[in-house]
Amino acid sequence: MIRHMIVQNVLHRPLRTLITVLAVAIEVTLVIIVVGLTSGLLAESAKRIEGVGADIMVQPPSASVFMAFSGAPMPIAIAGKLEQLEYVQAVAPVLLQFNSTGLEIVYGIQQDSFKAVTGGFVFHEGHDLEQPNDIIVDDVYSKSKKIKLGQTVKILEHEFHVVGIVEHGKGARLFVFMSTLQDMAGARDKASVFFIKCDRTDHTVAVMDEIRQLLPRYEIRPLKDFISLMTSSNLPGLGAFINVMIGIAVVIGFLVIFLSMYTTIIERTREIGVLKALGASKPYIVQIILSETTLLCLAGVVGGIGLSYLMRAIFIKLFPTLTILITAPWILRAGLIAVVGGLLGAAYPAWMASRKDPVEALSYE
Amino acid sequence: MEPILKTENLWKVYRQGKVDVPALRGVSIDIMPGEFVSIMGPSGCGKSTMLHVIGGLAQATRGRVLLDGNDLTTMSDSARTLLRRHKVGFVFQRFNLLPTLDAYHNITLAQHIHGNGFDPHRFEVVAGLLGLSGRLKHKPSELSGGEQQRVALARAIVSEPKIVLADEPTGNLDTKSSEAVLGLLRQLNRDLGQTIVMITHNPEAAAYGHRILHMRDGEVVDGSTVH
Repeated sequence: MIRHMIVQNVLHRPLRTLITVLAVAIEVTLVIIVVGLTSGLLAESAKRIEGVGADIMVQPPSASVFMAFSGAPMPIAIAGKLEQLEYVQAVAPVLLQFNSTGLEIVYGIQQDSFKAVTGGFVFHEGHDLEQPNDIIVDDVYSKSKKIKLGQTVKILEHEFHVVGIVEHGKGARLFVFMSTLQDMAGARDKASVFFIKCDRTDHTVAVMDEIRQLLPRYEIRPLKDFISLMTSSNLPGLGAFINVMIGIAVVIGFLVIFLSMYTTIIERTREIGVLKALGASKPYIVQIILSETTLLCLAGVVGGIGLSYLMRAIFIKLFPTLTILITAPWILRAGLIAVVGGLLGAAYPAWMASRKDPVEALSYE
Repeated sequence: MEPILKTENLWKVYRQGKVDVPALRGVSIDIMPGEFVSIMGPSGCGKSTMLHVIGGLAQATRGRVLLDGNDLTTMSDSARTLLRRHKVGFVFQRFNLLPTLDAYHNITLAQHIHGNGFDPHRFEVVAGLLGLSGRLKHKPSELSGGEQQRVALARAIVSEPKIVLADEPTGNLDTKSSEAVLGLLRQLNRDLGQTIVMITHNPEAAAYGHRILHMRDGEVVDGSTVH
């Protein structure tokens, strides 16, 4: 009976129901997409770093696991010392620059050492870097930016000549000569990170111990753990950013549900009076309002999940380099946030309805 | 026999700004089980207030209301809610059906709130008696005034209340529908033994009851038996 009444109430004002459901759906989409976008970027970035094929990564003291945010390059001469360590097969110094206009990292590499660690690029087209202003781009970047071999591109306010298009997954999407990037960044003889390849993977720990003795305060990380380190909680501010976005989404849902249920209660004042005259208790009336809210929220959650997948498809179509990770735990969390936010929004109108004076409610015009 | 409803020196005073406005001034009446009593009086005489207080919708300021032995004046709001649920059926001038529900669900809503679940036998009897069997799938907006009031009557009696309180039940109806509704009230009283208290300002409607109480300025000034 009560279920029938709730469904009928929801269907009674289709436009208001649609707007409320849409608002909840947007709330859910906002949470799923913001989280999916950040975690997708992190996961994708981690995957690429892992794709370098190194066993160990050495960064300056206090450097972030998120290399795009790392500053303070190290003297490149360290590479020579690292190469002399036992079990070290190859060391590839890399200078990183963050290209803020395209939101991507540019790797300044020494081709030979980078090839020794990574096994070299898999070329779709073109060849290695030859001239100082040459640039290699990966296939994803080439496709998303519609960049062709031989084309000139402007990166970091500098014009580069595209000489190679390679398979993605070697740490970055853009590769230039390290010396060129050093000149551009004013970081002569400096590197941001050293990728180290051990002669055998099971020597990784031993090599890390050697490096710790050689470079006591430096950040030394095994790359097999890299994905697990790439979480929003390891990046200062990102967790807070996600929380703020979720907070905004919750406030939107809360306010829309509050307004929707508040106007519903005002509109149904007389009906509430009738229910009270029939002997409906306060909990019964609260139950009706909150059940109605739950139904609206659940419809919004379902819509939001669908909308999230639609948004992801649109984003990826427009920006192929983007990765948006939609995961079941976050779908559940977003749904829960929407329902709890909605119920909080409906709590006051429900309380107000349950406390209405039946005589006044029955005489409401 | 004990009265099903008894009021003793019943007062209801409303506060308007800094002024006390008495709507009921020491009303004392007895309604016996199975009686059909009409309460008549001009607008503002306290008829509706009387109905609200004896139905447990409003709290009395002074005096006592005994409904089936329960003193409403000492009850909490939730206790009065419970009492309304089990012992009182209301019929209003403006029908007050829930617009989102069809006739069937408007009637069964009372049974649901009552808490004893759906009683198909009682429902059949009531729907048949009020001639609603063919109109149950219709929403209030698809029913005439007379039909809506019959649904409201069905809702009021489907849970077998001790007393039905009807507030101007024909006030929004044309003559023909009024006669039909009044005839049904009489039939419910006669066939089912339903106790009914009806408020009206229409003498012809009032004559359907066994007894007419006249109110003026918050007091019962006269009681007459209809022959």
